[in-house]
Amino acid sequence: MFVEIIDVIISGMINGSVYALMAVGLTLIYGVSKAFNFAYGSFYSMGGYLAWMIFSVAVINSYFIIFILSIPVLLVLGYLIEKVLVAPLRKRDDWEIKVMMITLGLALLLDNSYQVLFGARMKSLPSILEGSLEIGEFILAYQDIVIFILSIGGILLFRWFLNNTRTGMSVRAVAQNPAGAQIVGIPKEFVFSATFAISTVMVGTGGILLAQKYFVTPTGGWDILVKAWVITAFGGMGSIKGSLYAAFILGMLEAFVGWYFGMTWVLIALFAVLLTTLAIRPQGLMGKWG
Amino acid sequence: MDMDWKRNSQLLMIIFGIIGIMPLFFGSTNFIMHILIMCLIWSVVASCWDLIMGFAGIFSFGQVAFFVIGSYASAIISAKFSVPPIFAVILAGFVAGFLGVLVGLPCLKLKGAYIALVTFAVHMILEPVLKGDIGRAIGTGGSRGILTIAPMNILGYTFNSSDPVPYFYLMFFLAVASSFIILAVIKSHWGDAFLALKDSEQFATCLGVSAFKYKLIVFALTSFITGMIGGFYAHYVGMLSTRMLGIDLFVTLMVILVIGGVGKFPGAIVGSFITIALNEMLSPLGSYRPIILGAMVIVLVLLLPDGIVGLIQKIMPKKKSGKSLIA
Amino acid sequence: MLEIKNLNAYYDDFHVLKDVSIDIKKGEIIVMLGPNGHGKSTFLKSICGLVSKIRGTIKYNGQNIAGLGSEKLVNMGITYIAENRELFPEMTVLENLKLGAYSKTARPYEARNLEKVFALFPRLKERSNQLASTMSGGEARMLAIARGLMSNAEFLAIDEPSLGLQPNLRDEVARIIKEINKQGITVMVVEQNIPQITELAHRLYVLEEGRISFEGSKDEALGNDHLKEIFLGM
Repeated sequence: MFVEIIDVIISGMINGSVYALMAVGLTLIYGVSKAFNFAYGSFYSMGGYLAWMIFSVAVINSYFIIFILSIPVLLVLGYLIEKVLVAPLRKRDDWEIKVMMITLGLALLLDNSYQVLFGARMKSLPSILEGSLEIGEFILAYQDIVIFILSIGGILLFRWFLNNTRTGMSVRAVAQNPAGAQIVGIPKEFVFSATFAISTVMVGTGGILLAQKYFVTPTGGWDILVKAWVITAFGGMGSIKGSLYAAFILGMLEAFVGWYFGMTWVLIALFAVLLTTLAIRPQGLMGKWG
Repeated sequence: MDMDWKRNSQLLMIIFGIIGIMPLFFGSTNFIMHILIMCLIWSVVASCWDLIMGFAGIFSFGQVAFFVIGSYASAIISAKFSVPPIFAVILAGFVAGFLGVLVGLPCLKLKGAYIALVTFAVHMILEPVLKGDIGRAIGTGGSRGILTIAPMNILGYTFNSSDPVPYFYLMFFLAVASSFIILAVIKSHWGDAFLALKDSEQFATCLGVSAFKYKLIVFALTSFITGMIGGFYAHYVGMLSTRMLGIDLFVTLMVILVIGGVGKFPGAIVGSFITIALNEMLSPLGSYRPIILGAMVIVLVLLLPDGIVGLIQKIMPKKKSGKSLIA
Repeated sequence: MLEIKNLNAYYDDFHVLKDVSIDIKKGEIIVMLGPNGHGKSTFLKSICGLVSKIRGTIKYNGQNIAGLGSEKLVNMGITYIAENRELFPEMTVLENLKLGAYSKTARPYEARNLEKVFALFPRLKERSNQLASTMSGGEARMLAIARGLMSNAEFLAIDEPSLGLQPNLRDEVARIIKEINKQGITVMVVEQNIPQITELAHRLYVLEEGRISFEGSKDEALGNDHLKEIFLGM
């Protein structure tokens, strides 16, 4: 029993860390541009498929190279998608609805393209690091430790970027006060595209990290979209800190509910917690940029 | 405003007049009649969505969910309690409407994106609920779905899907009734209240327009209508599964709205006929069909900002300055 | 330095500025007065590339800049300081100032300008690690002006700098504007009639209902009965 609970906590922490990485990306887009990205989950799958292609088509068996190759692809793709699909809508009436529509269309396009290109069969990836750490009764897979470290590392890197680089500061500036950002001469359009690109990298990286634990499937991203979404709302949309806390809380909740009641109850439980939270605090845990 | 009402109801009558005589040409082709019935079904569901999103400005993404809730509710009510389908359909409307209120109560006070999230989450968790233990307990048949649903029966006459013309006119009647209700809502002082709310929620609240109350009523009303249509659908097709909750149907509904134009009410009806027909034509393409559908959404949102109705409005400039739905 | 000819500006369908023409010479302090809501702010924003619908020509050192966005204009040395300050609330004073030097032209001078700004506003130096949202109204106003200075501007457009300030702080603002001008920066201030600010003007303009209704020196303004009337009326 004790060992089991420790296992559940560890699994909650590990999933929580990856969720945090992905939820921060989602909250970032919303915080900066108030846009809503329905294709976010499809970029998660894209990360998985990119890794799978590099691994099995190019036969490169190194996660280091997988990351080196995938991240620029995700970055450029995210940037272009924002520039071509989202940016032109921003000047229109009802642009929020239209952004949701166009990203939903994109999600359908991407998911079914995966299906046509890679088939409906699940793809699996090798573990990033084989073996496990055994302490007494419980076993901690190295793979999980690496996933945890990389996710947290990604978030810290992102934090550093926001606080210490000029582009990062301009991202925060646009999120906090778009009019002020315009006054000091920050090119808002570029910041919108850049944040979209960065968030694409974050969720895609999450996809690569989790592909070795779960499988890559054409529609696997929807589950992630909803989870990242719930985490974002739970933590307060636009709040990075809120998303971080929420990701670990909900990651833990997911692990416990899944262990005790079964996986089918996970989404229901997440949703129940979210609704209760929103009923008490409509802005989420920390409904502010922070 | 009376002029508007007159012009728009005339327009609705023209649209439905054209739809109403279609069985004269296609009545003997079951396949086409089936498509026409589906067009009618989706035209109501899409119009409801337009009322919520385009007019009331609520970013609801739970429209398909309420449709599915209505269809399951009607199928289960008619089977478990031996309720005649026609009443089961109405009860299903109430079930969906009630759940609409239940979802609306906590979420309609939230900011737009949160509403989108919560309603879409309703959509996403519906599948595990219907497939899981709860679903099986209330009779959804789990992942197998419900395979036999009693056909529609009114005053001893049983509708039969191998003779779709009566089904068509039944659905036609529902669609006409729903459309006029939707038009009445848009053209009532509610519609004005919503326009005010969209412009400035704070200002409207100052004028004594209670955003929350109006939003909740409209949310309940559209959930009710959508649920009823879902119920009709269940008895018409005779079987249900959670496959309806796939993103495919969701996007199809969205294409309807994009083609029809968001906030351009009768547009959604036209949009649904174009979209459903197009979708049928694309079906030989198999798995390429959803790709094309997705690409279509992207292209149409970019190139056709206000749908077909917007396009017509652009080509035919307004005669009068009064706000109206068409031209 | 700035030749503005027949400038028209619109918000949606609302015609705010009607054929406004103004010349600003290098090194001047121009004060524009006028009742609230008659287009003073819009005028400044139009020059600074913050109004999307404008018509007319704005020549800056001989080059037409009408229609260019603020990111280009800030680079060229034209900076707007907003009446409602538009600071970044969740950032420190120092971060706000650093973002003031976002433009490419300002970057090389960031350290030098920071020193200058801190000399001008010692309070900001003391509070450089405090969040902008925790500052008092007066301090936030100073920060907004300081952030504008960080852009290394040649032309500063200051929108109602004394709005909501106590009289002693108005003196302070006037002193700072004078100081800024001494350093060679051309300044245009938009104000309702605040004597301390009007006192600084090399030339005055009055904007009423989107049109220039008066142009001249302080003394000429004092002799104008119509002007007396609007200002006493306020």
